[in-house]
Amino acid sequence: MILERRDLSTYFVLGFFGTVMLVPFLWMILSSFKSNSEIMATVQTLAPVQWTIENYQTLASKFNITGYFRNSLFVALTKTVLIAYVSTLCGYVFAKYKFRGREALFGLVIGTMMIPWPVTIIPLYDLMTKFGWIDSYLSLIVPGIFSSFGIFLMRQFISGVPSELIESARMDGASEYSISHRIVFPLCGNALSAIVIFHFLWSWDDFLWPYLMISTDSLQLLPVALKNFIGKYYTNYGALFASTTLSVIPVLVVYLFFQKRFIEGVAMSGIKG
Amino acid sequence: MSYTARPRPGRLRVNRGERTLRNTVVVSVLAFYAVFLVYPIIQAFIGSFHLWNPLKGQFHFIGWENYADALTEDLFWTSMTNNLVFTVSVVATRVGLALVIALAISRVKHLKSLFRTVYFLPVISSLIAVAFVWRLIYEPNVGLVNKTLALVGITGKNWLLDPDTALFAVVVMTVWKDLGYAVVLLLAGILNLSPEVFEAAAIDGASRGQVLRRITLPLLNPTVVFVVVTSLISYLQTFAQIFVMTNGGPGTKTYLTTYQIFNEAFVKYNFGSSSALSFLLFLVIMVLTWVQLRFSDAESRA
Repeated sequence: MILERRDLSTYFVLGFFGTVMLVPFLWMILSSFKSNSEIMATVQTLAPVQWTIENYQTLASKFNITGYFRNSLFVALTKTVLIAYVSTLCGYVFAKYKFRGREALFGLVIGTMMIPWPVTIIPLYDLMTKFGWIDSYLSLIVPGIFSSFGIFLMRQFISGVPSELIESARMDGASEYSISHRIVFPLCGNALSAIVIFHFLWSWDDFLWPYLMISTDSLQLLPVALKNFIGKYYTNYGALFASTTLSVIPVLVVYLFFQKRFIEGVAMSGIKG
Repeated sequence: MSYTARPRPGRLRVNRGERTLRNTVVVSVLAFYAVFLVYPIIQAFIGSFHLWNPLKGQFHFIGWENYADALTEDLFWTSMTNNLVFTVSVVATRVGLALVIALAISRVKHLKSLFRTVYFLPVISSLIAVAFVWRLIYEPNVGLVNKTLALVGITGKNWLLDPDTALFAVVVMTVWKDLGYAVVLLLAGILNLSPEVFEAAAIDGASRGQVLRRITLPLLNPTVVFVVVTSLISYLQTFAQIFVMTNGGPGTKTYLTTYQIFNEAFVKYNFGSSSALSFLLFLVIMVLTWVQLRFSDAESRA
């Protein structure tokens, strides 16, 4: 390929910062295969001189990563599916139905997006205690089912679906249930993938709320469990590298498979309707 | 004119299924937002005027005292200053770098999707996990930064425990983590610009620099403003990386407002004063967002 000099500098900039993006991952993964003495040695190599899986063996006996992983996955998937479903129905009603108070209600949904989390966290904590939902996944899932971001995005998206399509389905005698589920839902692929990606990542990454809500270790989610584990084994660097590697890699692999959809979905959230 | 015989204007025929779905949605949205958002906001607001400690069972009205205490306390001003320094540094670096990278990716002919994928990797990695990795990167003895500096004969610092570098170190980690998201949004913005404008500029013989300054950047402004405003709002509420990497230290050098709120609420159980701090933060966020929107509005009209 023929490159002009200024193209070369463009590639250089992209390559340089791209390397900066990758190096922490490489270092983490490679270090997880080093023994602790090698990690602490004065002379360092990026790749292990002596590859070892002892860190992963330590982890297996001290850190129930599959359990925490399963918990996080369960909560994130349940929440994401519910949010996607609820957002589509609400978005459909807000976009295609005309009724008194619609704008005011939608204003309430949008207005609360501006509220910073510290404002509501104490009363919510209080509320969860009163409901008896502490140490139960109800406290992690239920308060998040209606997502302002999701409802907003779906309303914008469904507004673009031609009303004639819905009207003609009505003429043909389709029920509102089948219009919303069989016609609107399948048309929302892009917006839905944005909602699914964001809410999955947000739920997967949520730290403070599960930290406050869940106290039983076997119910704990991965980020909090990771924090607790690292607090306990702070000097065992090898185990730390192995535990962070195992928490990061599976999601990266999923991302690499679906990256096109991922990036399109994310890009969509920034385009104002 | 038979006025009453006509159906009322603006009122559509609503069938039963439609009414059921509409009512279900309206009622559940109202109920949900009332219980999980409106009630908590009101409760927090009322609580901010109370001496409120759930462990001691206290809930006494004390007027503006929580607000007065916060505003006269050094820690509030320290953490708010840190919060602003942190937010402005992250937003400026992130948006600036993302703009350079998005423009570069839009320009290259090869490896476009590879670059996009690479820059997006940190975005989808768990924040808690990468915050730990970065804590190790900054670790004075085994960390990547100091080991690399040692190769060229420089003795590194204890980055996260040095008062001069701790906040800056968290800024770098945060920019690294979130850069790709801004890149993808800006790249989408660039690809959405109409190609005709660029063709016209090319016909008129505009140089690459002129096209960038006079066409690309001004047209991209709405996307940039969107990224800046949403980043501003979210970084003013940063918490997890501080909790993992520095615990607010050394001293109070990396205390951010949310960290102070967390400490007041869930370490000391002063729910009242913590709520007052939250509303002060809310006020700052609203004012800054408003200023930002006004500023960009005036700019785009000029």
